[in-house]
Amino acid sequence: MGEVSRLVIVARLEEVRHACDFVVEEAEAARLDKRAVYHCQMAVDEALTNIIEHGYDYHGDNSEIEILCETEPTRFLITIVDESPAFDPLAHHSPDPTEPLDSREPGGWGIYFIRKLMDDVRYQRIDNRNYLILSKNRPAAITGVQPDESEETFPVRFLDGGAVVISPIGRLDSNTSPVLERALTSQLQKGHFRLFVDMPDVEYIASSGLKVLVSAWRRAQDGGGNVVLSGLQPRIREIFEMVGFDMLFEIFPDLDTALAQKS
Amino acid sequence: MVMEINVSEMKRVQLFEVIGRVDSTNAGELGAALDKTVDEGRSNLVLDLSNVEYMSSAGLREMVRVLKRVKRGGGDLRLANPSDRVKEVLELAGLDTIFEIYPTQVEAVGSF
Repeated sequence: MGEVSRLVIVARLEEVRHACDFVVEEAEAARLDKRAVYHCQMAVDEALTNIIEHGYDYHGDNSEIEILCETEPTRFLITIVDESPAFDPLAHHSPDPTEPLDSREPGGWGIYFIRKLMDDVRYQRIDNRNYLILSKNRPAAITGVQPDESEETFPVRFLDGGAVVISPIGRLDSNTSPVLERALTSQLQKGHFRLFVDMPDVEYIASSGLKVLVSAWRRAQDGGGNVVLSGLQPRIREIFEMVGFDMLFEIFPDLDTALAQKS
Repeated sequence: MVMEINVSEMKRVQLFEVIGRVDSTNAGELGAALDKTVDEGRSNLVLDLSNVEYMSSAGLREMVRVLKRVKRGGGDLRLANPSDRVKEVLELAGLDTIFEIYPTQVEAVGSF
């Protein structure tokens, strides 16, 4: 038996997202790949949504749902426990993905996805509780030697006068923000507090990416320097404005302008 | 920010750029945004999914519902650039054969 992590949520739709975050974290810790992590997230989302919408009929405000995650050598297990009326999702027939549009029923897809996305799904009713046990296999490759991620990095350039330019690429989400964090932290640890983050190739930034930038900005400020941003795509710029970070960071249209202004 | 929808009115098409996460708490919001456009008499819709990091069956349900609605009015709801994860889910539900899916926004908009 592996170690069990536990989260309890109130049976409300707004709480499902916390459960998803929890499961994503646990699945990542179990070293499932991104695709498998996504599958776990979606299966849990669908299962909880069903329990809240149908099991509790949206009246679950005083009820709790327990989510347990456990990593075994060959599989990652998610157990969902609730006290709504007995309901075996596996006893219901699944919708047909080959059905044409006109004859498609709107419902039933949640359970379909749970069964398709997980490797094994079981249901038990014990002591007036529903237990839904979702299992995702852990490939042998990840249960043995762990891959070295430290080589994954973004381009870094050192300029005369001690400034450093870091150019992240692609999406800055919970999977890739740690790469940016490593790049920024390693410069800050070396005492390089004048950092330019040039972002024309960043297509997406999640809160994890914003968090990494803010914590680097704080550390740079403490060291008497700054983290200056440039080249934000309009969509990224908008996100910064929405969360008010355009007031925090100095943002320039492109790197050359940033360097000219700040050097 | 959990979900954001940017709507652009184009010549023949209404473009919806969805950003973030579509799940049971906000799928209705997406459906309502699409419905509003259809109510106004526009039924050629493009949903740009390139920045949708996550979509549950609640989001798919709204998309299918609106697709049925616009098809009845001779229009269409076409998808642009879903991520690999979202594409996989569309395929699992057989929706890749029901929706026209284009690799880029430009191609999806140009298809009308």
